[in-house]
Amino acid sequence: MDYAIETVALTKIFSDWWGRAKVYAVDDLNLQVRPNEVFGLLGPNGSGKTTTIKMLLGLLHPTKGHAVILGGDGTDPKISARIGFLPEESYLYRFLNARETLDFYGRLFGLDSKTREMRIEALLEMVGLRAVASRPVGTYSKGMARRIGLAQALINDPDLLILDEPTTGLDPIGTRQIKDLIIKLAERGKTVLLCSHLLADVEDVCDRIAILYGGKVQAHGRVGDLLQKTNKRQIVTDAISDATADRIREILKQEHAECEISSPMERLETFFINTVVAAQQQAMPTSGAFSTTQIGGFLAGGVDKGDILDKLVAAPVSEKAQAGPVRTDRPQPQETVTPEPNKDLLSKLTQPATSSPAEPAEPDSEQPAQAVPETTVQQEQARKSILDELTGRKQPDGSTVRPSDDPREDGGDA
Amino acid sequence: MRRVWAVATNTIRQALRMKVAAIFIVLLLVLLPVMGYTASGDGTLKGRLQTFVSYGLSLTGLLLSLLTIIVSVYSVTSDIEHRQIYTVVTKPIRRYQLILGKLLGVIVLDVALLTLFAGIVYGFVVLTPRFAKATEEELTQIENEFFTARASLVPPQIDVSKEVDELYAKLLANDQLETAYPNSTPEEIRKYLSSRLRLEKRAAAVGQMLVWEFRDVHPTDPNRQSLFIRFKYDVSVTPPDEQVYGDWRIGDLRGLQTGNPVDTPVWRVPRKDPVRKFREIEVPASAVAKDGYLAVGFANPPWNSTVVLFPVEDGLEVLYKADTFLGNYIRGALLILLRLVFLACLGVMAASFLSFPVAILFCLVIFVTGATSGGIIESFGYMSRNVNLVYKYTIETIIQLLPQFDKASPTQFLIPARLITWSLIGRVVLVMVCIKATLLLALALIIFSFRELAKVVV
Repeated sequence: MDYAIETVALTKIFSDWWGRAKVYAVDDLNLQVRPNEVFGLLGPNGSGKTTTIKMLLGLLHPTKGHAVILGGDGTDPKISARIGFLPEESYLYRFLNARETLDFYGRLFGLDSKTREMRIEALLEMVGLRAVASRPVGTYSKGMARRIGLAQALINDPDLLILDEPTTGLDPIGTRQIKDLIIKLAERGKTVLLCSHLLADVEDVCDRIAILYGGKVQAHGRVGDLLQKTNKRQIVTDAISDATADRIREILKQEHAECEISSPMERLETFFINTVVAAQQQAMPTSGAFSTTQIGGFLAGGVDKGDILDKLVAAPVSEKAQAGPVRTDRPQPQETVTPEPNKDLLSKLTQPATSSPAEPAEPDSEQPAQAVPETTVQQEQARKSILDELTGRKQPDGSTVRPSDDPREDGGDA
Repeated sequence: MRRVWAVATNTIRQALRMKVAAIFIVLLLVLLPVMGYTASGDGTLKGRLQTFVSYGLSLTGLLLSLLTIIVSVYSVTSDIEHRQIYTVVTKPIRRYQLILGKLLGVIVLDVALLTLFAGIVYGFVVLTPRFAKATEEELTQIENEFFTARASLVPPQIDVSKEVDELYAKLLANDQLETAYPNSTPEEIRKYLSSRLRLEKRAAAVGQMLVWEFRDVHPTDPNRQSLFIRFKYDVSVTPPDEQVYGDWRIGDLRGLQTGNPVDTPVWRVPRKDPVRKFREIEVPASAVAKDGYLAVGFANPPWNSTVVLFPVEDGLEVLYKADTFLGNYIRGALLILLRLVFLACLGVMAASFLSFPVAILFCLVIFVTGATSGGIIESFGYMSRNVNLVYKYTIETIIQLLPQFDKASPTQFLIPARLITWSLIGRVVLVMVCIKATLLLALALIIFSFRELAKVVV
């Protein structure tokens, strides 16, 4: 079969000045990444992940072996036009602002000005940097630079996305959003090569992984296969009485099985996000801490995101993605991804005054009551003002939005 | 091309926003007007203009050269150093397109800045006579000797090889070679003999007359313009007052030989001039015959008691207005631009494999060598006797590859109001841009295309 990425005995030896071999950075690496899968390349620092990527893209020459990427050479413009690449740090031109940065990369892809303009606005919206788009990126925080880096990797609507440590420098919300984005892109038929040592990131989104150490693959396969304990079963129930629990134990005893009953722990990630959202909805005075959540518009789980992605991604969800044999099974949402609360979170982030006040799925008791806005225009204004408030930007009419603007008033009314 | 242009505009933005260019621009914007007010030269209006043009254009050329070196080196090395190159070369752009884009950006920047600053210098030069309280005489002088572009005619070199051969054979036959020229190779003796014979052809004994003939002389407006005979006397015996009399005849002297009358006037100019100093004789351009023939005769009058010589290199030339000052000035600026193009190619070549400080140093060494190539070649010429062979195949070749900016410096033409000919520009384009700069660029493209751009990180 045609792989999206295939390396054959790929080897990189760094030699000293005299040409003597010093370090095997990558040693006889054979990787196969199938089209339309999310492949995770894991490994500790210095295990050869980044070196492998650099060889794929022609930034380093392999000492031995070769790499085929999308059926060709990574340096061939025809191939590289279909690749999006985010290096391990977002190496940006410090003197350009966000819009100019994206425009520059768009021009390198030979996109016409209309397409560029459309995509730049969509991407800025998506990564939540529209409010600061006219500031030089040299003044950006690491997380903001990361977002622009991601945006530049997406400007050509790539078939293959190579992400090297995409979540470094991002707060948990940003991390979550990038992970959601990766899943969405995979659903739309893209191939993603994700390179990371943050295991949680990889576990959540990858279909298959390979673990590198010392430049060699130590283990590889489907995440589900690698992690599933086939000799165990897990049952999750609503809160039940101790009596019922005892009865279950009785039943299990007849099968000679041990069981452990406890209340499941919430994931720290989910808890963190819920806490931040709650604080945000109370419209607490912004400080530095809020600057991380300004990506409200980014990856809006509901309608917004779909629009942007559809605009950006020309290809709809492909049939191959749904039924093809190529598609490896994605880890069950229960196991890893927690889409339900997350979706709520994201819709809240973008629509603070949402019309559904109940939020039954939300276990967080701190959740404040919310007012129902009169019109969608107000909704839009409120959403904007939150973004502005988070970034400390001025409204288009020139007035600075104070932290205690719309949302708190709504809350007060309620 | 679109991609090349994208890189070019990015390079220009970088140069302007990273304040590299800004420093040079501010410096020039401050220094040029200050010079305009302070330049005085020898006190005359002409001297003032000459000084200002000389310093103004030299300074512009120097600072833009440095700027070109820095920007062209920096824009490539900083991309590699700060690794923006990772995100650029992984886009559908060939590496050579990237280098060409950088180069184009630097050149566009150079053209813009050179136009700006050469324009400022020109503005000052043109406006100075209006604001200086100059006499009518001074204004006429600058009109004739500064605000013009004079073509220069030098007498063709006389072929003396035959006479050299004869003389050499004679010396050899008489066995006088060793006594006259001890420890000399035959080549050196011939060289010496030929320069001696050439000088003899340009020496006028007392009572003798020398005639130089020029063809294809075409002043733009013969009825209103002047011809200038620029000369320098040398003498065998220096007169007590260091002055030499001369009896000059300028015009169509063919009439004297054939006896036929000629249509155009022949000017007779008796003069007394100091020796070893440049002097100019002005005669109306109508002296030139209809077919473009002009002869200049110098008679050494009997009351001079010395032989008068005209040095071979610069003893005599005829100048006449062949173009306007503006046209000449634009060609002068073009010469500077050609130098900048060369330096930009040099910069990207050095940056393609060296780090920023090393590449800058490398370029500066080449730049300084090129700016003083005359002196350097001369100094190697002296040592060539002992290490002739080694020198010939190593250093000389390298020197030939080096640029020779001093030979194409616009000020050496604009100060004496000499015409910068298109053929000179063509020669510079051919040698400095088409051959040397293209060679550098090709080297840069090859190195850059095949090198590893990522750093070795394990």
